[in-house]
Amino acid sequence: MKSAMLLSAACKSVVFPKHAQLAVCSGCVRLLSKLIAHGSRSLLESGYGEIRSRFRRNSVNRSVVTSAILWALCLTVHAEDAKPVTYDDHVATIFKKHCLQCHGDSKQEAGLNLASYLSIRKGGSGGEVVVAGRSSSSRLFKAITEEDPEARMPPKNDPLPKEQIALIQAWIDTGLRQSSGSSPVAVRKLGFTPTAVDKSDGPPPMPQNLTAIESARLIRPFPVIALAASPRAPLIAVSSYERIDFVDPSSRNLIGSVPFPEGEPHLLRFNRSGSVLLAAGGRPVQNGVAVLYDVKTGRRLAEIGNETDVVLAADLSVDEQQIAIGGSSRVVKVYSTETGSLVRSLVKHTEWITAIAYSPDGKLLATGDRVGNIHLWDAAIGGVVLPLSEHKASITSLSWRSDSQVLASSGEDGMIVWWDVAKGWPAVSKADAHPPQRPAGVFGKIANGVLAASFGPGGELVTCGRDRTVRLWASDGNLLKAFGPDSNKAGDSQISSIRILPLQVSLTFDGRIVVSGDSAGQLNSWPIESVQK
Amino acid sequence: MPINRFSIVTLAFFASLFFPLTVRSSEPSFRRDVMPIFFRAGCNAGTCHGSARGKDGFMLSLFGYDTKGDYERVVNEMIGRRVNIAVPEESLLLLKATGAVPHTGGKLFGKDSEYYKTVLQWIEAGAPDDIGQVPSTVEVVLSRKGLVFEKAELSEALTVTAIASDGSTRDVSRLARFFSNNDSVARIDADGRVTAVGSGDTNVFARFSRFTVGAEVIVLPPEAKFQWPDPVAVNFIDELVFDRLKKLRVVPSDLCDDETFLRRVTLDLVARPPTQGEYREFMADTRSDKRAIKIDQLLDDDAFADFWTALWAEQLRVIGGNYAPVATDVKAADAFYQWIRTQKRSRRPLNEFISEMVDASGSNLSNGPVNLYTMLVHKPQFEPKAFAADFSQAFLGVQIQCAECHNHPFDRWTQDDYYGFVSFFTGMKRKPGIEPRERRIFCDTSAPPAKHLVDGRPMPAKTLGSVEPVPAGGDPRKALAQWLTSPENEMFSRNLANRIWAQLLGRGIIEPVDDVRASNPPVNGPLLDSLSKRLVEVKFDLRTLVRDICHSRVYQLSARPNESNVRDTRQFSHAHLRRLRADVLLDSIVAVTGVPRRFSGFPDGTRAIEYYPRESGDTEGPHFGDPFFATFGRSSRATVCACETKREPTLSQTLHMAVGDSVRDRLSANGEVKRVLESKSGPEDVIEELFVRALGRQPKSEETAAMRALIGDAVKDPAAYEDILWSLLNSTEFAFNH
Repeated sequence: MKSAMLLSAACKSVVFPKHAQLAVCSGCVRLLSKLIAHGSRSLLESGYGEIRSRFRRNSVNRSVVTSAILWALCLTVHAEDAKPVTYDDHVATIFKKHCLQCHGDSKQEAGLNLASYLSIRKGGSGGEVVVAGRSSSSRLFKAITEEDPEARMPPKNDPLPKEQIALIQAWIDTGLRQSSGSSPVAVRKLGFTPTAVDKSDGPPPMPQNLTAIESARLIRPFPVIALAASPRAPLIAVSSYERIDFVDPSSRNLIGSVPFPEGEPHLLRFNRSGSVLLAAGGRPVQNGVAVLYDVKTGRRLAEIGNETDVVLAADLSVDEQQIAIGGSSRVVKVYSTETGSLVRSLVKHTEWITAIAYSPDGKLLATGDRVGNIHLWDAAIGGVVLPLSEHKASITSLSWRSDSQVLASSGEDGMIVWWDVAKGWPAVSKADAHPPQRPAGVFGKIANGVLAASFGPGGELVTCGRDRTVRLWASDGNLLKAFGPDSNKAGDSQISSIRILPLQVSLTFDGRIVVSGDSAGQLNSWPIESVQK
Repeated sequence: MPINRFSIVTLAFFASLFFPLTVRSSEPSFRRDVMPIFFRAGCNAGTCHGSARGKDGFMLSLFGYDTKGDYERVVNEMIGRRVNIAVPEESLLLLKATGAVPHTGGKLFGKDSEYYKTVLQWIEAGAPDDIGQVPSTVEVVLSRKGLVFEKAELSEALTVTAIASDGSTRDVSRLARFFSNNDSVARIDADGRVTAVGSGDTNVFARFSRFTVGAEVIVLPPEAKFQWPDPVAVNFIDELVFDRLKKLRVVPSDLCDDETFLRRVTLDLVARPPTQGEYREFMADTRSDKRAIKIDQLLDDDAFADFWTALWAEQLRVIGGNYAPVATDVKAADAFYQWIRTQKRSRRPLNEFISEMVDASGSNLSNGPVNLYTMLVHKPQFEPKAFAADFSQAFLGVQIQCAECHNHPFDRWTQDDYYGFVSFFTGMKRKPGIEPRERRIFCDTSAPPAKHLVDGRPMPAKTLGSVEPVPAGGDPRKALAQWLTSPENEMFSRNLANRIWAQLLGRGIIEPVDDVRASNPPVNGPLLDSLSKRLVEVKFDLRTLVRDICHSRVYQLSARPNESNVRDTRQFSHAHLRRLRADVLLDSIVAVTGVPRRFSGFPDGTRAIEYYPRESGDTEGPHFGDPFFATFGRSSRATVCACETKREPTLSQTLHMAVGDSVRDRLSANGEVKRVLESKSGPEDVIEELFVRALGRQPKSEETAAMRALIGDAVKDPAAYEDILWSLLNSTEFAFNH
């Protein structure tokens, strides 16, 4: 068949860049590597619907698919039937040419033999070198893409050609296929059954007899830097300056406020029964504290911590015995809610702590920092369980799915990751999850950070980002809907030269309303008809 | 009772947010008003948040080259923290700057300062970004071009005016930063007040936006002691130098004697001391213009061309290797060297000489000048950025490499200039030629231009300081060569003139010669202007300018200072003592002892100045070639910097001269001393001959007496005279041109 011939020509020209047919396809190779670097989102959104639907039918895991699509794009340009990247067809020749001298049958530096598919899977003396679906966690891929020439493979040489690196990446990310006949190595799936909400505490707690608090000092609304939805009631807690507002999510009417004279609440979180609200914050470089409020009465239950800078992240343990707080001190401090005393300090982060979350089953504590590192700790004794490394810039939020199997993280690097906590691997990761529009004539990097992520009761995730949209993701990680920046917006979103960004987002207890708060101090909400499970 | 939160929000929003946001001229602009405060207060300095990684987690672009990024970092990176638009006075930016909360940088301004008010007003307005184009600063003017103080302690305030692209002006004295080049002459305080400290001259500067503007400051010595001797000016050089000295109340030294002149000019022009024959002939000459005649003689000597060949080869980093991929094979180096020598011997005008290299293409083995693209930067692949920086340093004396990462902090060069300049070379490629050592150098005209670091914009090829890029299409180097070497390009002619001057006077009018920048102005501007004009006028003829300089009384002044000029190190009031370059020193030893020096890989009779390093392997890194050059600080050609040629003495030099083979083995090797001994009638005559040969002068009577005493009765023993020659070669006088 003609198309098949074209295909093989395309593949060859990729594997053998010096081949005469290079000219046919080098443009695509460049595009491919660029797209891989860029992430997949823009591609999915930009009119390759046909490719997308084909891969959906195959019901292969999404993260596999996205990378495969990238690869497929190159091939589909030339041929109608895309062929997966495999060890036999593509990768073996690269290893043979560049690696086998030191990592082959005759010599196995670091115990690593790259001469056969099985020996590659087996790995070297330091463990496995390729992880299906995760080039970024594969030591082999790290070694060939290392920036430091001293540490890079092949040693004392130029890096491998970009096309070959792209091939190896595509091979790993599409599941380490051995040959075109073999299926990809299993990559994790997001199975989920919602955990029943705790209903033992009687009617859902709602604030009663709280009034509004006028803040005379404010010349305009304070940005909504913290927001939380009650897990049991139609109730949203919203941060303002020196106070916290309780708001009805459907009408956005104020129900009442509690004072937070310590400054800015940087974090709000309800306990599982919805009866207690944790607020943490303070004043930059002055003071920091975590406060517990009784939701019904607005009464202060406890004040925890006495920090010298704002508490940026905090959470209340499931048994409500402990509060973990973090901020610019780089140490996660765990306090007893009963005595207010410091129980332990978790020292591992090298930068400001930006996110903290206890797993709903009470077993784990996840903490994230400003350079993108996430650590999992044993909630009871504080031991290190796992590092979760995928993000390249500040973690902006951590949110647990109610079954405690999946942790979602969002970052300023534009990524959202659904972590398979048991393995410590990303089950799904979305690069460039909130792609901003590129204005005409603008080159270079545009800030594309994801500013917040929060799970709803059905395992769906809502996020907001610097592209000024709010996005709703299904429990399998597929994008369901993007809101904004201008749909259903109260007032003008871009007044004068101040850019208004959605900073916080949450789903209500019943998963029916998305509420977000923005940098102009406004609340927005969108009803959701039915959430796809 | 539920209160409609949204209506409160809306009301508050429209009442207090919307109206202040309507752009009014009184509302501070981030770029126009706030960024200059970051600069003035030092927030975006390199030691603080302007550091490449920021400071304590907050980064600003160094001196504000990235305004858009700075806005994002201040306002949007951590919303609610650095600026608090709801309670503006609680913004961390203000709390830190006023020292209200702990700040590594300390308190920078008070709450009652205009800086505080401006930043506060801007935050009160909602910390808006600027809409559209904010008029940018296109020029900065100081209220005075120069200041003259009669005595120390006097002071005067300078004001700084910025002219914007829309033609408006404003006083930015309170936003500029000031500094003095020499605090022991004049200080300048944070508000621009200049105070005289001690006699001398220096420059003070104001920096604002991307401009550095200066004013000359002269602090005069007491008038009572000063009497101008009114020396005769031979040419324009003397007039301009004497003008300057008179203004500074500095008396020049006397004219040097004939012996000193002969040795000085011979070393300077043909890179060796005068022979005893030349000495006796010159001293016997009674013509009044014998110095001028001597200069012409030396300029016609091939050694003059060979010496300048050596200087250019050093500057252009000629090194031969035998590793083909780096394109610097010995054969290529030879082709380049021979081509340079041909240009020098044939008196090719300097502009044509350089122009031919700049747009050269072809084989590195057969087309010498193309080796500019293999030698100036020694790398396996051609590197446009490194090359552009070295190119500008070599041919313009300007260091633009700062602008790779940020606008030049002390000069006018911006990242736009830098990346536009790099784009002249982004198409330069090497491909294998016919034989293994050969590489063909060509410009791939389809190569994309360099991308701007901050925003990734493609930056088409643009000459330094111009606004528009050169016409697209074809090899942009043609336009570059034309612009570079055109008589209108003062940067080019001034650089050449300054380097020639520095070679002959031991110090540039701008020093270092390859660090020309706004904050390093010429010590005598009119002199450099005139030399540069003269060079253009004589069609870039090296010899004419050298002749002019050597004719001048300034060149011929004695090195002995007088009471008035003893402190002067930069105004050419007396000759500078100059340590001989390593190659000239070695040639001088050879000339005095008559014993040649052999260089591996070069034919017999090769002079030290004609030697360039030949290495087995690649040619990156420092290469001295012969170990003598490593010891005596000849340029290792590791970089294009003029500072690679070391003039500092070291202990190993002293030891090598005293006991090393260069001198010791030559004292008796070919019996030169013995022959002198035989041809002279008495020990005094032998001593005189040795002095003339080694130092180009008559011994003083006490020197003769001391030497005679050393010889004692062994008047016919060459060993004693060899010892005398040894001591002459080890004298400081021999190692210096004075």
